[in-house]
Amino acid sequence: MDNATINKDSDLYKMLNQYSLGDNINECLTCGACNSRCTWFDGEGGPLPRQIIRMAALGLDEQLVNSGMIWDCLLCNRCTQGCPMGITMDKVVRKARSLAIADGKIPKDIKKGIKNRIELGDVNALTKEEFVETVEWLSEEFVDEVDDPKATIPYDKKGAKFLYLPNPRELGLNLLHLTAMAKLFYAIKEPWTLSARHTDVTNWGYFVGKDDITKKMALMVVEPAEALGIETLVLSECGHGYHALKYLLEDIIGRKPEFEVVSMPELVVRYAEKGVLKFDPEVHPYKIAYHDPCNIGRKSKGYDAPRQLLSMVCKGLVELTPNREDGVCCGGGGGLLQDSTSTLKRMITGKPKADQMKATSLPNLATACLSCHRQLGELSKHYKLGIKVDTVASLASESLIL
Amino acid sequence: MENTTRNILIIGGGVAGMSAARTFAGQDVGVHLVEKKTTLGGHAAMWACMATDTCENCSACLSIEMADQVQKQKNLMLHLNTLVKTINKKEQGYEVVLEDKASFNVNKIIMATGFSPFNPGRVNSLHYGEYKNVITTADLNTLLKEETLSGYVNEKPDPKIAFIQCVGSRNREQGRDYCSQVCCKISIRHANKLTRLFPESDITLFYMDLQVIGKEIRPLFDTVSKNISLVQGVPAEILEDRKTNMLTIVAEDKQTRSRVSRSFDLIVLSVGMQPAQNLSKTCGMLDLTPNSWGFFNTDEAILSKDVVIAGCANGPRDILTSKQDGRIAAAKIIDDLGLSPRKSLNIAVFGEGANADQAARAISSKGHAVYLFGPGDSLSKDTPVSVLNKSHIISVSGTAGRFSLFYESEKEKKYLTCAAIIAAFEPEQSLNNLKSVKNRSLSLDSFSQILEKSPENCPDNIMILLDYFGPEFKSFARLALETSVKAKALGKNISIIMNKMLVHGASGQRLYDTARRQGVNFFRFETREDLKFEDSGNGFLIKLKEATLPSIELDLNCDCLILPPALAPARKFKDAAALLHQSFDKEGFLQSANTRHRLTQSPRKGIFFAGTCHDETDQDDLSNEINDILSAFSTEPFDLPEIDTMVEINQKKCAQCLTCIRICPHSAIVMNEKNRPQIVLDSCFSCHLCVSNCPAYAIESKDLANDQIAGKIEKDKVVILACERSAALAAGSLTLPSHINLIKIPCACRISTDIILKALLNGASKVIVSGCHDENCRSLDGSSVAGESVRKVLSIPGINASKVMWEPIAANEPKKFERIISNA
Repeated sequence: MDNATINKDSDLYKMLNQYSLGDNINECLTCGACNSRCTWFDGEGGPLPRQIIRMAALGLDEQLVNSGMIWDCLLCNRCTQGCPMGITMDKVVRKARSLAIADGKIPKDIKKGIKNRIELGDVNALTKEEFVETVEWLSEEFVDEVDDPKATIPYDKKGAKFLYLPNPRELGLNLLHLTAMAKLFYAIKEPWTLSARHTDVTNWGYFVGKDDITKKMALMVVEPAEALGIETLVLSECGHGYHALKYLLEDIIGRKPEFEVVSMPELVVRYAEKGVLKFDPEVHPYKIAYHDPCNIGRKSKGYDAPRQLLSMVCKGLVELTPNREDGVCCGGGGGLLQDSTSTLKRMITGKPKADQMKATSLPNLATACLSCHRQLGELSKHYKLGIKVDTVASLASESLIL
Repeated sequence: MENTTRNILIIGGGVAGMSAARTFAGQDVGVHLVEKKTTLGGHAAMWACMATDTCENCSACLSIEMADQVQKQKNLMLHLNTLVKTINKKEQGYEVVLEDKASFNVNKIIMATGFSPFNPGRVNSLHYGEYKNVITTADLNTLLKEETLSGYVNEKPDPKIAFIQCVGSRNREQGRDYCSQVCCKISIRHANKLTRLFPESDITLFYMDLQVIGKEIRPLFDTVSKNISLVQGVPAEILEDRKTNMLTIVAEDKQTRSRVSRSFDLIVLSVGMQPAQNLSKTCGMLDLTPNSWGFFNTDEAILSKDVVIAGCANGPRDILTSKQDGRIAAAKIIDDLGLSPRKSLNIAVFGEGANADQAARAISSKGHAVYLFGPGDSLSKDTPVSVLNKSHIISVSGTAGRFSLFYESEKEKKYLTCAAIIAAFEPEQSLNNLKSVKNRSLSLDSFSQILEKSPENCPDNIMILLDYFGPEFKSFARLALETSVKAKALGKNISIIMNKMLVHGASGQRLYDTARRQGVNFFRFETREDLKFEDSGNGFLIKLKEATLPSIELDLNCDCLILPPALAPARKFKDAAALLHQSFDKEGFLQSANTRHRLTQSPRKGIFFAGTCHDETDQDDLSNEINDILSAFSTEPFDLPEIDTMVEINQKKCAQCLTCIRICPHSAIVMNEKNRPQIVLDSCFSCHLCVSNCPAYAIESKDLANDQIAGKIEKDKVVILACERSAALAAGSLTLPSHINLIKIPCACRISTDIILKALLNGASKVIVSGCHDENCRSLDGSSVAGESVRKVLSIPGINASKVMWEPIAANEPKKFERIISNA
């Protein structure tokens, strides 16, 4: 048993106590509702949400940082969804992760990713030359893909209406996804572009709760986009990217950006409703289940567009139980997926999701986040679920009638 | 002739509305009672009886009896199954139009619109309405009342059942950041009932801060807590295992320090109270503005002068408080309209502290002559109260309106005649002290005094320890919060260590919120073993295993440790009980917990209780109690023409054995000037106990003599001798089969062995005696007297045990009545 003394002069307490009513750590009634809603499944340890809040409220910074709970937390906010006093867990945990005493605990991969992103503009350290080389090669292939000699995947194009901000995986492991997105832009028939100066929708500063880094990373997207004069920033399917660049953007950068932000599924739905995009659901002649990425669903209220799109491009949508605000995290949130030492742990945190997937008895599942996509695919393999996992926008691309 | 009768509109036929209506009985007013449902009684009338071996004082049955009385009330116009459509202010009073097109004018309005239970369908993750075995406490009431619960526990004899408290209460996100006050009591009673219905059941109650408040609940909780598991922490999500039909919730497991899932057959959501659905519409018609919760229980609410609010429209409250509220509201209108007799009564107040002084002050301010048997220390000199300090009361004789107090003062013996007596003693307070430390702790009262009078002497680091010497009384929990907020405002470092925080009352939760927001630290312990105390300099070091942080031992330092005092029944209570012929509750405080006479009254008319000598009261409760007593003074003057209670003493037969005087539960039989026993009709409750027990058969009933009852017995039928306050009311809603011969009796204590034997001799195929549950009888012992008579008859050789039975059936147990007669 550890001994501790409370310390209301602690860094964490002082930071959290600045929040206004509704987010203030002192509001906690110790009702325990959060304990019943954590995604970590029982018997495997994991965080006790109420303990996190209580340690923070009593200024037990060191105990909290050393407990490991803040690194196991998936930042999914499921626990505090029903909080009677409106406390938000990810704010508390991210602040705890941001403490100087926590610096040594930040997973190495995340540290490296942040360094890459700040110094080179990309978490995977993709250089501008590599970007140009990749995109130009993809662009050549794209001509065959859509059977149109004039077709192209443009970058740094001034005067474009849309700027597409890819996930780093679309420029590495998952190039086909970028081609699929390009196909959708091609069918929208409005000028669009990529940018060689900001190739990355992610914001790992958010994971470690460091406000200055988060802001810097957000501005690395916002300022060049404004320089290009685009109307709309289109985000690749990315959970925390959506949350940071759409839902929280004004808070993070302290002003309104000079453009609109939408996700790829939102853009596609918009053009489908206008009648510009048409889909053949027979391409996917099956019912499909949908996984709500926590950052898009519960944390940003973006429940509808992916569902609308799926019902256009497949033969019907099936809900996982529970879903929407009660949706279960894929098990890779909060930076866990980005930490290569957490692979085994992710199979534990993902167990409730795997059970949910299995309960649908369907061989197909879609989601609107490339991180969830990877985690869910790995869960399917690990738990031998035999479920094929796709992203919503890539399915739309496949169903597209050109 | 000019019609000068004033009219009153009462909106709502629940407990408060009916209670107000009853208070107008016998007054020269016309009462219009509007109820949206087709029957009177409100929510309480739909609730199940919570009695097990004895009544558990839930009071729900009272609403059935009140509905019965209201329907018979002469000056009352009942408008059922309709709503108020418009109310227009006229030069004098209001013009009221109902949705059923009826219209009338009224002078005053009582708004008793009640509450609606919180709809847990608003919380998706609880899956209420989706999973069959997730129900609310309101549903559980229905299932218990209909005796159809077994279908909801997977037909098991040993079901696992969970109660989840605070669903829709203490929740700012749901706009309901207040404690609903009654849900903990309801769940404790429900759990108790279920442990009897399913002796092998496994019941867990998940709570936030159990509100164990009130004389009727503390002893019950003490028993229940030994039979069920109590878990601090309320799960916010329920999942269903489709294969097993079991419900799953995840809760913290202290042993493994992790979260574990637990399965239940049935989960009961203890839902809070919110304002009635139509309240805002009615407010619009009357220019009223409720507070931010939609109730009228705080200063933010705006009232108009002709409208009085009663019951749960004022905020969450229990049945007895709603009943009290209705009475106070009606009495206020009676006073406002100048209808009260406005006669000065002689009132005696007993008590040596703040309770008695406050009562004396309030009652004298209404023009009554108050005689205070106590020092009256806090009374100012110009308060017109006769202080009879250091007087020793030798005896109290007589009845309401004309009690005779025989007392000794300054070696002189004197008599005082008074209309009513109010017992407002102080309980014994003793300082709690920690044995393991040498440094002295400070009492909460003294600390409060320091903050009040010499804040510069307030120490810097303060800890208040609650619940350590037993569950805290609510007034001390409140004082702890108030003082900690004050100390925080002085810049002090203050913490409260508790097992649970009582947040009772309209402002309880808000005060707790304020304290937390201002940085008062709150710590929770589970058992006394979680705390260790050491001296540290002049202060203390407290080692605490905090309930929410089981892996850490906190070292808490303070300069000053504050303990609330221990409260216990005072020795004086015994003398007072003997003097006034009154009983104690289970903890030894004055007044039994019997709901028939609470909150302030007693079986003996004219004897009242106020303050902490009889219940856990705070300042607000005490002033309500005093208003309640005052309302009795202005609506029940004790010199009304005597009513015929159908019982009289035949002086020719009377042997003057005094049995009747000894046993009368209402002390309504006195020796008259001719030195013979006499029944004082306006104090008699017509229970007939004296009739059944007079050895000389000298006390005669005009309508229920043994022969008269025997005359009602029909041959070959099942005779049910049913108390008109309980079993007969339960039967009232049923169509009885032809083989049932129901005979109403005023109280089960009317049933002597003679009557049962006569019924059998007259050819009854079976005799069922039925009355109130034990400890619920208005005349105290009806059920035990009847039960004893049945046992005596059964002990006679040759009497078949299946032919005679005693069965308690409350007014709200029609299904039970049906079951008993179908088995007969």
